Amino acid sequence: MAATVKDDMFTPDVIADPYGYYGRLRDEDPVHWNYNYALWVITRHDDVTWLTRHHELFSSAVFKNDPRPAYPAIDESDLGLYEYVRNYQGDQFIQHDRPEHLDMRRIVHGYFTPKSMEAWRPFVVNAVKELLDAAEEKGSMDVMRDLATPLPVLVIAQMMGVPAEDRPYVRELAEKLLYIGRGEYDRMPILTDGMKGMLEYVSPLVDERIVRPGDDFISVLASGEKKGAFTRHQVLVNTSLLLLAGHETTINLLCNGTLAFMQHPDQWALLKKDPAGAAKWATEECLRYDAPVKSIQRLASQDVEMRDKVMRKDDRIRWFISSANRDPNVFSDPDRFDITRQPNPHVAFGNGVHHCLGATLARVEGQEVFKALAERFPDLEVATADLEYQPSITFRSLKSLPVTWQ
Amino acid sequence: MARKLRVRVDHATCVGNAMCEAIAPKVFRLNENRQSEAVDPAGDTVEKILEAAESCPVSAIFVEDAETGEQLFP
Repeated sequence: MAATVKDDMFTPDVIADPYGYYGRLRDEDPVHWNYNYALWVITRHDDVTWLTRHHELFSSAVFKNDPRPAYPAIDESDLGLYEYVRNYQGDQFIQHDRPEHLDMRRIVHGYFTPKSMEAWRPFVVNAVKELLDAAEEKGSMDVMRDLATPLPVLVIAQMMGVPAEDRPYVRELAEKLLYIGRGEYDRMPILTDGMKGMLEYVSPLVDERIVRPGDDFISVLASGEKKGAFTRHQVLVNTSLLLLAGHETTINLLCNGTLAFMQHPDQWALLKKDPAGAAKWATEECLRYDAPVKSIQRLASQDVEMRDKVMRKDDRIRWFISSANRDPNVFSDPDRFDITRQPNPHVAFGNGVHHCLGATLARVEGQEVFKALAERFPDLEVATADLEYQPSITFRSLKSLPVTWQ
Repeated sequence: MARKLRVRVDHATCVGNAMCEAIAPKVFRLNENRQSEAVDPAGDTVEKILEAAESCPVSAIFVEDAETGEQLFP
């Protein structure tokens, strides 16, 4: 089996259609050793759920605890830059294990509860309205550029108290940080440029919150330093992380979801019949069908047996949301986009102690966008036959999504 | 006399985030599927239990007054 599956996860066909490649692995070799990158590829829903709920067996400190060189390989002259990347990534709270992870998560968890995120819904509704007003006036829209990017950037920047005029610069830095999930051998200078730029940018914002805390989210992170859960570098890195993670994944949800509706007119018609009533489960199906994040990595903390394979301590492991969400053992007719699926136990936000901190916020933004599009642009159509995705193994990101309407 | 609670975790929704267990470890415990079980609704104060319920990222925890049936969360 292994010999018949080509093991390059960055080829244009796998980037364009991850469902074919990872779906085949799920059906034929669900715990697959990828020779090319020397890592395990986990693709079944039950295995992904089990793995993510056993954090003591699978470390999230995938940079700090991994002495091996970067993969895919990088330019040799950039090895020093890779050390910078390791130190930066290693200070993210999501790249910690318990007990430190729990102390760090406790600092930020309360800000993102379903109840507190619900309070942001009116702000989201209003932001969606303003962006769609502008698009309507212009008469055309690139969903990526004009809606899916500005909305979550606006929301997370508002939560973090980032000045409005700085938001395009934050997005510019974020685009450099996204090289973390890419394969180009010369990606390190761009990536470290983004990291250094981000730390420089957030540093004075954090300094200010340490002295004069407000009710914004950077103040919450800064309070973690006073409580001893974060060092200053960790506050800076996590502020940058939340600025990035707080919008990049939501961009993908909004674009991929809109595209799914455009490609499935029957489901679009169903949403239009009752936008307010259907938006909740429709958003869950968008998260399942074409998830914003394709895969995430762990390191085995000890030897672990899974199916008939033994993963050795320190082995790299990637678990694939894109294939788990299409697992026929869990979802009937899994390749069908069906917004009435209930329940919908997709793993788009992961599972276990590392379950996505911003899940509720992403849901609120998705629900309000799909509802507003259905209400205001009932004859929306994709305006190109040429859809391209970023060559990332982590993110499922369209490059653009131009649409038209009557 | 402290208020008696009925606490339930919906296993169709629970993702095993375990924040409830971290907040009220005598009340919530992860089972072998790593989903939360309400093992002792009298194991902590009403405030702590409500804090744990509110902290659930997928709103899988339901709390009611055991005597009156009044729903306290969500």
